[in-house]
Amino acid sequence: MSIRERIRRFLQRPGTVDLGPLRVHVVRANELEPSVRDLADADLGARAREARSRGDLGEFCALMREGARRALGLRPYDVQLLGMLGLMDGRVVEMATGEGKTLAGAMAAAGYALNGRRVHVMSVNDYLARRDAEWMGPLFELLDVSVGWVGQGSSPEERRQAYSRDVTYAPVSEIGFDVLRDRLRTEADRRVVPEPDVVVIDEADSVLVDEARVPLVLAGAAGVGAADPALAEIVRSLRARRDYEIDDEGRAVHLTSEGIAAVERALGGVDLYAGGDNGVISAVNVALHAHALLKRDVDYIVRDGKVQLVNESRGRVARLQRWPDGLMAAVEAKEALVQTESGEILDSITVQALISKYPTKSGMTGTAVAVAEQLREFYGLEVGVVPPNKPCVRADEPDRLYATRGDKENAVVAEIVKAHATGRPVLVGTLDVAESERLAMRLRASGLSCVVLNAKNDAEEAKVVAEAGAHGAITVSTQMAGRGTDIKLGGEEVARLGGLYVIGTGRFASSRLDDQLRGRSGRQGDPGTSVFFTSLEDALVTSYAPDAARMSFTPDEDGLVTDKRARWTVDHAQRVAEGANLEIHRNTWRYNKLIELQRGVLLEHRDAVLHGDAALREMTVRCPARVEELTASVGEEAVARAARQVALFHLDRCWAEHLAFLADLREGIHLRVLGRQNPLDEFHKAAVAAFAELLPEATARTAETFETVEVTAEGAALADAGLRRPTATWTYLVQDNPFGTEADRLLRGLKNRVLS
Amino acid sequence: MLTAFTRAFRTPDLRKKLLFTLGIIALFRLGSFLPTPGVHVSNIQQCLGQVQAGPNASVYSLINLFSGGALLQLAVFALGIMPYITASIILQLLTVVIPRLEALRKEGQQGTAKITQYTRYLTIGLAVLQSTAFIALARSGQMFPGCNLDIMVNDSIFTLVVMVITMTAGTSVIMWLGELVTDRGIGNGMSILIFTQVVAVFPAELGRILQTKGGWTFAVVMIVGVLMIAAVVFVEQAQRRVPVQYAKRMVGRRMYGGTSTYIPLKVNQAGIIPVIFASSLLYLPQLAITMFGDQKNPNAVVSFISRYYSSANTGNWVYMLTFFLLIVFFTYFYVSITFNPPEVADNMKKYGGFIPGIRPGRPTAEYLSFVLSRLTAPGSLYLGLISLVPLVALTLVGASQNFPFGGTSILIIVGVGLDTVKQIESQLQQRNYEGFLR
Repeated sequence: MSIRERIRRFLQRPGTVDLGPLRVHVVRANELEPSVRDLADADLGARAREARSRGDLGEFCALMREGARRALGLRPYDVQLLGMLGLMDGRVVEMATGEGKTLAGAMAAAGYALNGRRVHVMSVNDYLARRDAEWMGPLFELLDVSVGWVGQGSSPEERRQAYSRDVTYAPVSEIGFDVLRDRLRTEADRRVVPEPDVVVIDEADSVLVDEARVPLVLAGAAGVGAADPALAEIVRSLRARRDYEIDDEGRAVHLTSEGIAAVERALGGVDLYAGGDNGVISAVNVALHAHALLKRDVDYIVRDGKVQLVNESRGRVARLQRWPDGLMAAVEAKEALVQTESGEILDSITVQALISKYPTKSGMTGTAVAVAEQLREFYGLEVGVVPPNKPCVRADEPDRLYATRGDKENAVVAEIVKAHATGRPVLVGTLDVAESERLAMRLRASGLSCVVLNAKNDAEEAKVVAEAGAHGAITVSTQMAGRGTDIKLGGEEVARLGGLYVIGTGRFASSRLDDQLRGRSGRQGDPGTSVFFTSLEDALVTSYAPDAARMSFTPDEDGLVTDKRARWTVDHAQRVAEGANLEIHRNTWRYNKLIELQRGVLLEHRDAVLHGDAALREMTVRCPARVEELTASVGEEAVARAARQVALFHLDRCWAEHLAFLADLREGIHLRVLGRQNPLDEFHKAAVAAFAELLPEATARTAETFETVEVTAEGAALADAGLRRPTATWTYLVQDNPFGTEADRLLRGLKNRVLS
Repeated sequence: MLTAFTRAFRTPDLRKKLLFTLGIIALFRLGSFLPTPGVHVSNIQQCLGQVQAGPNASVYSLINLFSGGALLQLAVFALGIMPYITASIILQLLTVVIPRLEALRKEGQQGTAKITQYTRYLTIGLAVLQSTAFIALARSGQMFPGCNLDIMVNDSIFTLVVMVITMTAGTSVIMWLGELVTDRGIGNGMSILIFTQVVAVFPAELGRILQTKGGWTFAVVMIVGVLMIAAVVFVEQAQRRVPVQYAKRMVGRRMYGGTSTYIPLKVNQAGIIPVIFASSLLYLPQLAITMFGDQKNPNAVVSFISRYYSSANTGNWVYMLTFFLLIVFFTYFYVSITFNPPEVADNMKKYGGFIPGIRPGRPTAEYLSFVLSRLTAPGSLYLGLISLVPLVALTLVGASQNFPFGGTSILIIVGVGLDTVKQIESQLQQRNYEGFLR
């Protein structure tokens, strides 16, 4: 290593490791390359398996390269082999876009599988899971490794089959939900997910950092939603700022005194805040939330008479996702749609808990170094940087900042028109569905034809992406095209014109997302340009740097702002947003750690019931007369089954209630700060006390049901009790400490005193 | 509590944390005894003995209280944790004034890390200043007036520079130790180290009482001390719970009464700050007359001050009354600043919370103010009395000067002690909760 290299490494951000030592294997692979050319197809897999078990990584690399060349027609570059080795070493490797992460990941998965391990390749969405599994299929086939994929639409049988393969491609949410559903099985042989072994995470920063902010929550239907359409009507008549106010970050809304009076009048003179049963005020708040905070074509779309959620960080429809706590029904009432079933939380898991169950973890992404510290803190993963095969020559221009949103949009359209005139392909990244459609409409009005890619037409994704690099193409997309999509330039001519021109219509909540969008251009040393158009009226700025509104500066006649402070504000707002999101992630984890532990205890108990006769033994002690009576009438086996069914039902029931209690507790726990208590400690105290009563309570209820329930040869007739299948999923956010620490409050108080 | 400790020591992970913390404390104490190179150890001990028997004893025992005896011995850790605390207070105040710092703070972890880094730089700066000033004082012989022994081996510039560097380095090590405890041990590192220094002087002070005043006084002091600690623990734990309901979720069949959601209002909502403010303020008159007053022909004000407000004579009623009133005032002041009812009401309203039977917004704020003022009245009286008890009781038995159970130290000890025990308990609940179950 040269001295310069050493210094560079020394100065590198913490949390990164050097992949250099792995290069020797790549060098050896290059030497061995001619010698494996003549191997028969059938021998390739066996030789690779053998090289792997000998630990000869050089030969293994050479065989993998040969396999990929034959099966896919792709000869892996040295850097791809290096990436593969990094993955097999249990690292998160950073590889720029267009460097062939998919192939590196597939080879690494095969590498693990050839060693007798079972591999899950986690991706961020269905599209990528399926595309990669099918695209890489021939390679796995050649190596005699079986492969499968799971998507939102997969049936339980398809899932079980996919998971039984050596390598399984699946979105992280699907694996999470399958694990959650498995925990609620009442028959031991119904489980679909095998013991976790190796995970290779695609787009690791997205999965491990962005998705980890909110736990995956499994909900079960609990009857038809009960949102009152009349309430939606009342709320519709309220006016913003007069009757209700929305907070800066757009996360909460509340009624003003005028609003309270108006609602109470409309409901016939009730007192909303009398206390006791707060069903009415809750319904009002939920209806107001649906009305004021959730926007059609931003947060959700309406398709086929149904409300479908749009995932914020991916821009895709989350088909099985729903809002919690009656919000879904309220949105349906707002849109005057048929109300679907409302849910109740059955169980939840954090991405962190899910990933930590895998003994071997690795990942790949184009933007890992920025979150290296977080990956180390939360997952114990180290980042290794793989250099690009050909240096990236894309020109990343500085942001163009405008004073108002209107000026910005005019400038974006003008820029697209200018670039299009030369025939250069343009990819426009917008922030949400509504914006993408508004922009497309304006472009069409100026006589340009463009293709829109957003949550509404996700079916055409592959086709749109394939054509986005063609001469004269204009593609307007949401975050959907921001990750994982590989846009190939349409020939030499396009490259001569300057390659793909990426235009962002606003900075995202994290610089990594910006970089991902830029990364759509300039793959494999292609030319390309990227630029972001921002305005001081963007939601990012108004939410996270509200002081910007008071800033004085003079834009030029097009509204372009060159003031240094104003430009700094945009970066600052993004950093604040990143900080806030990190805090949410950390809080999610801190508050879920204990729940994970408690779940572990519960699962241990549940497994004893599920796989053994723990339930029957318990019942023999509790109600011996009943057991004896039933054994005489239906036989011992049926009694054991009945006891098991009843016990499992009540265990799951009590756990769901425990989670509901914790959610409720969590909501108001920040108030404890006011008494100089630590909210997290207080949360733990209450949670531990509540959990201590859970198992005895479940046993008591089991005994009670067991005494009365009708038992046949099939087991207990629990239909009356209404065992339900999980049908929906949702996410939620709670703020931890809105008051700030005591010192913060003291300072703020002093400041207010002095200034007023 | 004992069971909590034994359980804590049985959890391997937690035992490691506890032992780690104890190890750091031991290291910290060691550094507080280790003399800085260049100090004449036997001379300094003699001087110390002289001033502690002299007329200004109480000033010296106060200095000793917060430095754990390290400062007057010119130890490596002479400056203690104070430079770091001062630096963090200064930076916190600066965030109000300097927009750039406020912006950094808003950027979350990355920004706060930068501010912490600035705090460390400032600590080093303060440590250089303080150690220089202190060594200059020691060199000129003003540290122990009336003691004519040389407390330094020589006063060449080299020795002085070495001493400054040693003390500054010592301060950085203390800062590091504190952060280590916060990260890898139990409790808040800063508080634990202050606690250590306050408690460290106890044995020596109590021993002196036993020697000079005899067994009876010693017994009385011990009994009063234990009773006071018990009383403080009791009141510190007392709180009024104002129930709050959150109504932004529609959940079928609520099985629980929502009793776990409340605003805990402590009787002593202000903690220890009012006492510290009041006692520092009471030093000002004396300081003022020493600096500006004409000592030879004292006018009425100067003689009044030197008669009633000298730190050598805190047992008089004027001093006690002023002290008491100041504490009451500062308690109200502090509570009114840190607990802002309109802000709390606003926040509750924003997230759909309300106090049952009370409408959100202004009525809620008014209700909270009402409850708070009713609580602050006994709270402030309690703080005042706790601070006076040692003065009164021990003037009666004649041990006031050396009594270690001052109001401030008891509040510090109980406050940090309770916090740390709670943290241990919380750690147990995070890990060992199975112990509660089986």
